[in-house]
Amino acid sequence: MIDLLLAVLRPFAEIAGSPAFFVEVLIGGICAGLMYSLVALGFVLIFKASGVFNFAQGVMVLFAALTLVGLIERGLPVVLALALTMLVMILLAFAIERVVLRPLVNQPQIILFMATIGLNFFLEGLGEMAWGANVKKLDVGIPDHSFMVKGVQINELELTAALTAGALVTILAVLFQKTRIGRALRAVADDHEAALSIGIPLKTIWVVVWSVAGLVAIVAGIMWGAKSGVQFSLSLIALKALPVLILGGFESVPGAILGGLIIGVGEKIGEVYWGPLVGGAIENWFAYVLALAFLLVRPQGLFGEKIIERV
Amino acid sequence: MSSGPGPLLEVDGVSVRFGALLALNQVSLQIHRGEIVAIIGPNGAGKTTLLNVISGFYHPYEGHIRFDGLDRTRLSPPDVAALGLARTFQNVALFKGMSVLDNIMTGRLLKMRGHFLLDAIWWGPARRQELEHRAFVERIIDFLEIQAIRKTPAGRLPYGLQKRVELARALAAEPQLLLLDEPMAGMNLEEKQDMSRFILTVKETFNTTIALIEHDMGVVMDISDRVAVLDYGRKIADGTPDQVRKDQAVLDAYLGVTHD
Repeated sequence: MIDLLLAVLRPFAEIAGSPAFFVEVLIGGICAGLMYSLVALGFVLIFKASGVFNFAQGVMVLFAALTLVGLIERGLPVVLALALTMLVMILLAFAIERVVLRPLVNQPQIILFMATIGLNFFLEGLGEMAWGANVKKLDVGIPDHSFMVKGVQINELELTAALTAGALVTILAVLFQKTRIGRALRAVADDHEAALSIGIPLKTIWVVVWSVAGLVAIVAGIMWGAKSGVQFSLSLIALKALPVLILGGFESVPGAILGGLIIGVGEKIGEVYWGPLVGGAIENWFAYVLALAFLLVRPQGLFGEKIIERV
Repeated sequence: MSSGPGPLLEVDGVSVRFGALLALNQVSLQIHRGEIVAIIGPNGAGKTTLLNVISGFYHPYEGHIRFDGLDRTRLSPPDVAALGLARTFQNVALFKGMSVLDNIMTGRLLKMRGHFLLDAIWWGPARRQELEHRAFVERIIDFLEIQAIRKTPAGRLPYGLQKRVELARALAAEPQLLLLDEPMAGMNLEEKQDMSRFILTVKETFNTTIALIEHDMGVVMDISDRVAVLDYGRKIADGTPDQVRKDQAVLDAYLGVTHD
């Protein structure tokens, strides 16, 4: 019993003994967390505006990364390839609105959810058909070397990723809270009929949110792809975004960001310090166990609106 | 704002069908500028359907709707709103998570110029515009006496106040034609009197034309210039409150007819 207690507590001593290493782990966790946040953000945007749980968000990340890599491999300069990829994602948003959402207007949510599962397989197939199924190296010119600050090793790629994600998140938060389109988006999220009656065209709003989700997917795709190559397992990070959403609340932009950070940092620290105790692989299940705990205690998430059901 | 000689809104032989149910059967109705028209009828008579057709939520399978003399039969709700028509809903459709002030501000969306995305970067003009609209909204808030709740999330308000906020949002759009679907449902006597007063003042101060659905006959007879009666999807009477009160078809519809 005492032994177990000691074993559980020992990592704290390790943290205190080598703070520089702890900061490195922390930074690693924050970087991974921001990636989760980005993917979760794509979910939240679409869910808020259309009530659709977009199962295809992970594949959108993959599809964006594949398109970008494919274009770069064909010899296009990075900037041009990026611009074209953005165009492709925006066109995709138009297509989804026209082909998937518009015919299914006023259908129950589960039907729209099923439609996004279909979209998921379609995009996966389309990506494979257009660009091939090999693992590809994505090089967008961000240097992948490290420098030292006060004994802490910092990776330039991770730093760039973190700053980009941070900037994107700030822009989106301002867009949602302060502008006319933000107000329109929140209105649509609250009540479709009322939004229509005051002159908000739903179709435009849907195209806008799916486009923004597509652009967010590009950023997430670049960051993940640059770190671990563009491959089909990239779409699986969507699974990690699920616990992030449960933590943060499905409708909350700040929730998605904080939830991603908590999970990223939590699983990294857990893995490095407590991993040996349970034989490793904490990183694989930490997020889901945390999400489960949240579902029991606070099902609406950190920032979600409390669900009050009147009977 | 143009003001031609004809009626502001003309519903001309409109029929709406849901499967086998004929919800509206060749209904014609004219609403003239500056009028308050009440649409009454027993439950299921097609009153809300008529409002939904006028505001573009349903499209009729026959007949026409003309707004200011021009055919507007097949417009979508946002396009109808852009023409100067605002409405409220039977079951209150507010943006529950947003504050009362933000809710009413959404009513100004169509009045705001400039591009959605430019707003995000172009701070100066966007902010000035926001302030102008804010000033207008504050006038409406004063007028409807809801100053005290402007920061409250709309979903937390009692029903009567929600109805009032919904009216405020519709007024914020400065509509030419205002459609109210049971503005006094579920209200107590005092709230009904307040609402009647607001509706009459809206007509006088903003020169707004109003069409409303209401079940409280006392209210209807008091505030309307004209009453149209629907029964089983047909218009069975149309006239001043006094004419309608004495109309035999109306009495039959409401009290039932003895068949012998």
